[in-house]
Amino acid sequence: MMSPMFYLESVLLALRQIWSNKLRSILTALGIIVGVASTTAVIAALTGLKTKVLSEFETFGAARLYVFPSRPEGVPRNTFPWEKIRLKPNEAIALQEQCTTLKGLTPISEASLSVQSDAETLDGVSVTGIWPAWHATENRQVIVGRPFSQVDINNARQVCLINDLAVRDLKLPSDPIGEHLIIGLRRFLIVGVVETITERMTGFNSISAEVFIPFSMMEKFQERDFFMRIVALAHSPQEAEEASAEMTRVLRKVRGLGSGDLDTFRVQAIDQFIDQFKSIATGITAVAGGIVGISLLVGGIGIMNIMLVSVSERTREIGLRKAVGATPTAILLQFLLEAVTLCLVGGLVGVLIGQTFAFGVSSIPGANLENASVPAWAVALAFIFSAVVGVVFGMFPAIKASRLDPIEALRHE
Amino acid sequence: MPEPIIQIRGVTKIYRVGEETIHALRGVDLNVNAGEMVAIMGASGSGKSTLMNTLGCLDRPTAGSYHLGGREVSNLDAAELAQVRNEEIGFVFQSFELLSRLTALENVELPLLYSRGKGWGWGRQRRQLAKDALARVGLSDRMDHRPSQLSGGQKQRVAIARAILAKPRILMADEPTGNLDSATTEEILALFAQIHNQGQTVLVVTHENDVAAHCQRVVRLRDGLMLSDLSVDADPTIGALSIARRSAAA
Repeated sequence: MMSPMFYLESVLLALRQIWSNKLRSILTALGIIVGVASTTAVIAALTGLKTKVLSEFETFGAARLYVFPSRPEGVPRNTFPWEKIRLKPNEAIALQEQCTTLKGLTPISEASLSVQSDAETLDGVSVTGIWPAWHATENRQVIVGRPFSQVDINNARQVCLINDLAVRDLKLPSDPIGEHLIIGLRRFLIVGVVETITERMTGFNSISAEVFIPFSMMEKFQERDFFMRIVALAHSPQEAEEASAEMTRVLRKVRGLGSGDLDTFRVQAIDQFIDQFKSIATGITAVAGGIVGISLLVGGIGIMNIMLVSVSERTREIGLRKAVGATPTAILLQFLLEAVTLCLVGGLVGVLIGQTFAFGVSSIPGANLENASVPAWAVALAFIFSAVVGVVFGMFPAIKASRLDPIEALRHE
Repeated sequence: MPEPIIQIRGVTKIYRVGEETIHALRGVDLNVNAGEMVAIMGASGSGKSTLMNTLGCLDRPTAGSYHLGGREVSNLDAAELAQVRNEEIGFVFQSFELLSRLTALENVELPLLYSRGKGWGWGRQRRQLAKDALARVGLSDRMDHRPSQLSGGQKQRVAIARAILAKPRILMADEPTGNLDSATTEEILALFAQIHNQGQTVLVVTHENDVAAHCQRVVRLRDGLMLSDLSVDADPTIGALSIARRSAAA
């Protein structure tokens, strides 16, 4: 074995070699620098996105459940006509009354309607029919005025909530409570203003004017077989699974499905979305890994090329080193350490550039990447990969150097 | 009588270059005693370089035996030969062979990087050894210079310092003055003589009579065979030169 001093001096020598051939070293390590930098940046951005999304899910979304109509798979379409699978208002009421695991639920039905205020008429405004529990399931509160009451719902009163973008777009006074809107030829009293949330990644962002009316009122605007979905909130994220099972049971009973019948609807808990998101993130990470693999391969070939040049240029030096007592193993290790050092320096530069990128994207407003940062495992992996590339692609030139005959090498011009 | 420091018997060396077979050495016997200074002479193609490579453990003989300091070294593998070179032999080459990126001191230190047997210790200790060696060749004031900042004579002094650093059994010089002018040649030869006088065994491969005249003994080769092995004064071409040189010095 070589002494520890040997390794230390070899690394220092390699650093000097790299420093004295700065331009060449940079060009050589470029493949590794680019590969490591781009992957580091992608992983940083992805990490930021993941942190953001998961924290949002966890803060208010994890107890949320969705019910959609769903045609069973592998069955002819006409076995289950739309009428059989679509959700109906009475089913929402049944779930509301029978599910003890739910804190609340709301049916949701949307339409695009013409809305008219005293000052302005807007076409194609999103009008949504809801129950009062909507504020809890969507986590969007009433900031001015009041939410719908049960009376509003039960009596299908012509009242509405609007968001503050609607206040602006319909040129309503800043306190619009008590004003009226004409929606689809009916006159509605504005009772409250709902907060607008644009920076949220889950649920539905309100990026334009929105109007909300009691769900029972909405039914009057819709066709007979209109589409609706149900959003429910379990008492806690831990009870989400239980709630999902209970809702399925109740809905099956309401629909009169026997034990052998397939579900004609789908209850989905938020953690399934989280799983989906996580698998997408894993996919992107894998793709990034593939990119780094390719660029490290390219970088490795560059390293091998330059190390071969270096061996050829320094043939006399190798001869001299052998003459003063360097064993083939010592020469092999020296050139291998040089290749590894070059790769690690490339990896270091790559990580620094990637960090800079991560810092850059994290300060882009509205990109949802403010948590972007390079995780420690990615840095460790970058260095491990760089070192492996150095060993793999430095091996052949190093073997070549170690096998040089000292006499021939000293005679080399 | 003590055992010779170098003892070779029946050394032959055969190269194959393509179809051709070259008999570089055809059975050479040679003894060198500790403290001798021997010149190895011969025209090009005489086998003197091959003999030096063999004696310097850079190469193995095809046949024959080589005892270096009482140890048979003709059958060692590449790694073992490297260790023998590291511990027993100091080389001085015609074109100095200094590494341009390193300072004089670092060049001198180089063999210690590869030493394991003798335990030369760590950084500071090694540095001191290299400084001592540079002091012996009179270059204490040039330690931090790079080869490009040194004259030819100074470069060869650095190379000599590197060769004697590890206190080798044999100092082996291959045309050590071949790239130097005559004044510098004299300086370097005087340095070799001085090191020899301190007890160092020295082998010098040369084709120059002036250089050989500084030695005690002249071995001549021709066509891979020993032509003559005489004391310097007895050598027909160099004897007069050597005697004249010594009387001039006196």
